[in-house]
Amino acid sequence: MAELRVEHPSVVVVLGSREACDAFDVPDGTTPMRIAPGELMLVDAPGVAEVRVPTGSAPWVEDVSDAWVALVLEGVDALDAFARLSELELPVDGWIQGEVVRAAAKVLVAGDRVAILVPAMLATHVEDRIRTDAAEVLDS
Amino acid sequence: MGTIEFEGRPVSFEQGDTIASALYRAGVRTFSRSLKYHRRRGLYCGTGDCPNCLMTVDERPAVHTCTAPCAEGMRIERPGGFPNAERDLLHVTDSLHRVMPVGFYYKTFVRPRFAWPIAERVIRRATGLGALPPTTAATRQVVRHEHVGTLVVGAGIAGLDAARDAGAGGTVLVCDEGRIGHAIAPGTTADRLAELAADVRSLENVAVLEGFTALGIYEGLHVPLAGDGELVHVHPSRVIVATGAVEEHGVFPGNDLPGVMLGRAAAGLAGIHGVRPGERAVVVVRTGEGIDHLRALTAAGVEVVAVAVSTALASRLPSDGVGEIVVDGDVLEARGGSSLRSVALRRDGRGKRFDCDLLVLSLGLSPRDGLARMALPGEPVTLVGDAAGETRHDGRCGHDGTVCLCEDVSIHDLEQAWDEGFRNAEILKRYTTTTMGPCQGAMCGRALACFAASHADGRSHPPEGTDAPRTTARPPTRPVTLESLAAGVHEIVDKRTSLHELHVSAGAQLDRSGGWLRPFSYGDWRGEYRAVRERVSVMDVGTLGKFTIAGPGADELVDRLFPCRTDDLEPGRNRYVLTLDEAGYVMDDGLLGRADEGDWYLTSTSGGAGRMDARLRNLADRLELDAHVLDRTAQWGAINVAGPYARDLLERLTDDPIGAEAVPSRGFADVTVAGVPCRAVRTGFVGELAFELHHPRRRGPGLWRELVDAGREWDLRPHGLDALELLRLEKGHVYLGQDTMPDDTPAKLRMSWAVDMSKPWFVGKQALERMSSLPPSRRQVGLEFSGGPADTAALRGEPLIVRGTVVGRITSAERSIALDRAIGLGWVRTVDGGFPERLETGSGATARVVPTPFYDPKGGRMRG
Repeated sequence: MAELRVEHPSVVVVLGSREACDAFDVPDGTTPMRIAPGELMLVDAPGVAEVRVPTGSAPWVEDVSDAWVALVLEGVDALDAFARLSELELPVDGWIQGEVVRAAAKVLVAGDRVAILVPAMLATHVEDRIRTDAAEVLDS
Repeated sequence: MGTIEFEGRPVSFEQGDTIASALYRAGVRTFSRSLKYHRRRGLYCGTGDCPNCLMTVDERPAVHTCTAPCAEGMRIERPGGFPNAERDLLHVTDSLHRVMPVGFYYKTFVRPRFAWPIAERVIRRATGLGALPPTTAATRQVVRHEHVGTLVVGAGIAGLDAARDAGAGGTVLVCDEGRIGHAIAPGTTADRLAELAADVRSLENVAVLEGFTALGIYEGLHVPLAGDGELVHVHPSRVIVATGAVEEHGVFPGNDLPGVMLGRAAAGLAGIHGVRPGERAVVVVRTGEGIDHLRALTAAGVEVVAVAVSTALASRLPSDGVGEIVVDGDVLEARGGSSLRSVALRRDGRGKRFDCDLLVLSLGLSPRDGLARMALPGEPVTLVGDAAGETRHDGRCGHDGTVCLCEDVSIHDLEQAWDEGFRNAEILKRYTTTTMGPCQGAMCGRALACFAASHADGRSHPPEGTDAPRTTARPPTRPVTLESLAAGVHEIVDKRTSLHELHVSAGAQLDRSGGWLRPFSYGDWRGEYRAVRERVSVMDVGTLGKFTIAGPGADELVDRLFPCRTDDLEPGRNRYVLTLDEAGYVMDDGLLGRADEGDWYLTSTSGGAGRMDARLRNLADRLELDAHVLDRTAQWGAINVAGPYARDLLERLTDDPIGAEAVPSRGFADVTVAGVPCRAVRTGFVGELAFELHHPRRRGPGLWRELVDAGREWDLRPHGLDALELLRLEKGHVYLGQDTMPDDTPAKLRMSWAVDMSKPWFVGKQALERMSSLPPSRRQVGLEFSGGPADTAALRGEPLIVRGTVVGRITSAERSIALDRAIGLGWVRTVDGGFPERLETGSGATARVVPTPFYDPKGGRMRG
């Protein structure tokens, strides 16, 4: 079975040139999600300071945690539960972006933990659909 | 072992019985009635390919009873027939071929015109494969996706062999529509299959799905598998099709009589279920497995009175117990009434008749390769086993009899269609509906191809061993339930703002708008309207698209995208902007504000946020600008505080300056309201003093509560979209989409003021320049109505008419509360070179074209 939790992780976005994103100092233990050549997203990245008025070639760095909600599936059936929600092929450990129950999502996978990061306004829709579509493998 | 209920009477079944085997054991011989002529149809293929055994099982129509296992208490009914399938008075249609020729629905009931709807109703009642239960809810289908290296469709010997080999190099999924080996009689084949199945099941990276049918192969690769209550979308790297072969359908007079049976059906009854399929049999053997079928029949005690055998197999026939042997003999015809009574075989050009109640046909194997034929060229889809065999003519197409069992099409019908000019397999299929029934050509596809090929060159038969082009294979391969088709399809995605729960608890009437679930009213939209016009109100506008556009190239990006000037905007000032596409048509609108050098803030319509985001990013990429787009739609909520006392209300909750200098009309400022950091944006959509407070999403509920609490002094009421509809209409503001057409230019919307054609370049400029020399043909107008319905809103959508000609349409209409007049918006075309000023509506009201805004035309209230 898998457990479903709703979490509100801290999310930081880094906007800059390709080179600036390449050179960005990502904290240890944080999975950098390069969602576009000039855009980097960091989840649970401690110690990253916001830069709202960049100078020179420095990137724009902003905490956008309000924009995202993580629906976390955890347990031996987490991958099975996810397979009922999306056709995305998950990496063994890593991340992927695409459509999950018709919502644009970033999906982070670590062992039997699958975190589906969705825009906050879609969180209720996605949570409802997970509880319906994966009901057979979710802890009640 | 158990009991099922067959049309009200109990029928017992044994371990391993299919529904058909149990019914056959109980003496049932008529399994269905044919679609058109209501001819009796008996058990025929035994492999789930033909339509003969389709019955309604537990209210579920069109179940192949020859492969469906029995379960205690099942209720079985044969569809069709009046009063029932056993004694069917509609069988009279079998003698009315003259009035129901092939393609009769194109030829009959054409005149008088009222005849067809009546005939259609009668035809629908008389035909069909059963009725869907109208009161039974669809069962939920579990949907899941599987990513595998290799998908093997078919778990026979070839399929399992391929799965075992593929399993050595990656993940494998094997599926079969039945249980592995369920239709194989005990013997060496069954033993080999069991051994292979055990091997495959022992492999860790091979999974087996039984009871799942592959519906088709789609680009990708993508193969949906439908099971009982579950739909599995498989995304394989390659597909191996091991679906075997279907026994060839014999075409001769009387070929559809109950008692005429393909070899696998007869051998299955005798060898697997212990049911004797007949007492006296004629057997046709043209395949190796036909010999096995013959042995199974004799072992079950069937008296074989004659065997027609191919020359090649004659030496392999059992030496005794097979009656008369006719080498290289053909079936001339089968005769009978409610079931088979005799068969005539041709030998050396002469016929000989044999009395019998069973005719078993092992005529050949036709690869079940439809699934593989759906793949695009070059896709990694391979055929193995019998499915990889060749479909080639043996020179025998049949001279008469039923070709298509599903649709009741005979050789005679095909001949007639051919004579009418339908002269290849594809159009014969469309005209006669051959291959379009539940079997999807499994039975008749080869016969149709053979017919078309043989007639194409004027021969009576095609040359032996030549290819006959078959019709295109398309999904689904098997009949599929509506539940499976709909499984996992959810078209509605509701976005919610952070204030959703507050709206619910306030009793808001919520509905969908622009992809969001939004309050339309809180119970009294007129009261909400008055709160805005007379006092103060709040509205949840968190649905608006919200963007930061920043970076060294941001100034150029906004200047290139928007048709108005942007370089003259000072920090803290904003401007109404249109977005055009390359054709100069209006795509969206919003407010653009400069926060700082290289830092812009943009709002767009609620439904257009996704498009705006894509447009900004695409243009930045195309122009190679160092500009970055941050979509804040999800990150920031927004509350519009509107009304004459809006500023008074905010002053209660902020220490920051909020006056006309700090936050001027067409300006914005970052302030703190009730402890919440907000970007206060002056707007004018409702025509009153208004501040949109853009704020961090999670702080939204707290901010809303503080505003509502502080607003009690002015009897604050939140307003919804119903009130907004009139508020904006009184100001003459258009709703993009509702009041506009897909090819509206700024000029057609009377918004040329939002375009600066002196700019060197912006998206859509070239198109506008080209169109500027064209005379105006249509434009959007303000309207005032007289003599219309009591409910002015009923005028929405009505045509606008001049001298009997429709020249426009009403897109918005309401009775203005402020002005006590019926007003609206619409579009009109030119009449006699000019735009009409006075028109008639579809319901007879008079519409007069008037200038807008209707309310506060000088905008003094909005500016505060």
